[in-house]
Amino acid sequence: MRAVIALLLIALLGAYSAEGAQNAPQRVRAFAALPDWTGLWDTEASRAFNRLSGKATGNEYEAINKYVQLVGPAPYTEAWGKKLKAELGNPAAAVGASNAKLCTYGFPIIMDVFQIFQAVVTPEETLFVFDNGEVRHIYTDGRGHPVKDDLWPTAMGDSVGHWEGDTLVIDTVARTEGSLGIGPNKLSAQAHFTERVRRPDRNSLEDRMTIDDPIAFTQPWNLTLHYTRAADLDRMLPWDCANDRNPVVNGKISVAPP
Amino acid sequence: MWRTSTTGLALLLIARTGAAHHSGAMFDAQKSITLQGTVRLFQWTNPHCWIQLLVPSAAGTTEWSIEMGSNGNLYRNGWRASTLNAGERITVIIHPVRDGTAAGQFVSATAADGSSLGRASAPASQ
Repeated sequence: MRAVIALLLIALLGAYSAEGAQNAPQRVRAFAALPDWTGLWDTEASRAFNRLSGKATGNEYEAINKYVQLVGPAPYTEAWGKKLKAELGNPAAAVGASNAKLCTYGFPIIMDVFQIFQAVVTPEETLFVFDNGEVRHIYTDGRGHPVKDDLWPTAMGDSVGHWEGDTLVIDTVARTEGSLGIGPNKLSAQAHFTERVRRPDRNSLEDRMTIDDPIAFTQPWNLTLHYTRAADLDRMLPWDCANDRNPVVNGKISVAPP
Repeated sequence: MWRTSTTGLALLLIARTGAAHHSGAMFDAQKSITLQGTVRLFQWTNPHCWIQLLVPSAAGTTEWSIEMGSNGNLYRNGWRASTLNAGERITVIIHPVRDGTAAGQFVSATAADGSSLGRASAPASQ
């Protein structure tokens, strides 16, 4: 019996290897045709934050928010704008915002906040791997979005893409309705994202993002996000909230002993 | 029209929310305090690094908790886990927390010999 199982395993392995060998040259050519985005990338915010870290004043930290474009004014419809204003005018919501603590961000603001990321480009998918453990999967194997029954809202949404020369064109849907996490902006469940990502030079990546939200916006919101190669890093430096010493006490963020 | 009218809201919330992990609003950025003391503990951790500093006071000794950036942020500015050790005497400038407890946000530090801890400025590549 053992001999039979061993023979079957060998046969299976042989078949798998043969398939791999058959596909290898084609896959190598597909890899070779893709642009090289190797390395670690700073967002504009992480670049500013790392310049200041360890020696900034409080005001400077707050000023870093100016590098996060997605906290800026969006082209809201009057109805959505009124709804947001009413929600933000609620004192409880305001206190909640002041006490907000974030360890993960979700899409789209993960592309614009303080986390460094690695871009992994393969023929089948491109991954954006962030230092806080969040990952974006952009499938480039020709598939479309899942059918309605197979698709539900998530923090990252569902992304598929294709290459137009050296530009990765990404289409994202099914982002969870709600706040962007930082700042006042909020999107509906129907928000639809298109991105054109390219590397204009060796040390720069660029993401031309368009957000179309038929419920919240009067017109598409266009942003261009810039990334710079983190030339001082040779490896990912993970970030997490394992030693969170900032509990919310009596409605305020405080400092706990070690 | 709504693009303009929500701008004020944006500024309000940005001031409240903030850089990674939490807002800096808990610290009084208009006030700086200089602390001279002995390191009890240097936590090389995330989301923040911390210095526990024993500072002589009228009441005896007060332990201050000093919040820094993440270890990745500090690493990129020349800090290492070995930069500070228990028993070292240092001088630290902080922005104190608004609630009056013995805690604050790190601004800068110097060793007993007067040298700066960490890089004075970030590399040009950043």
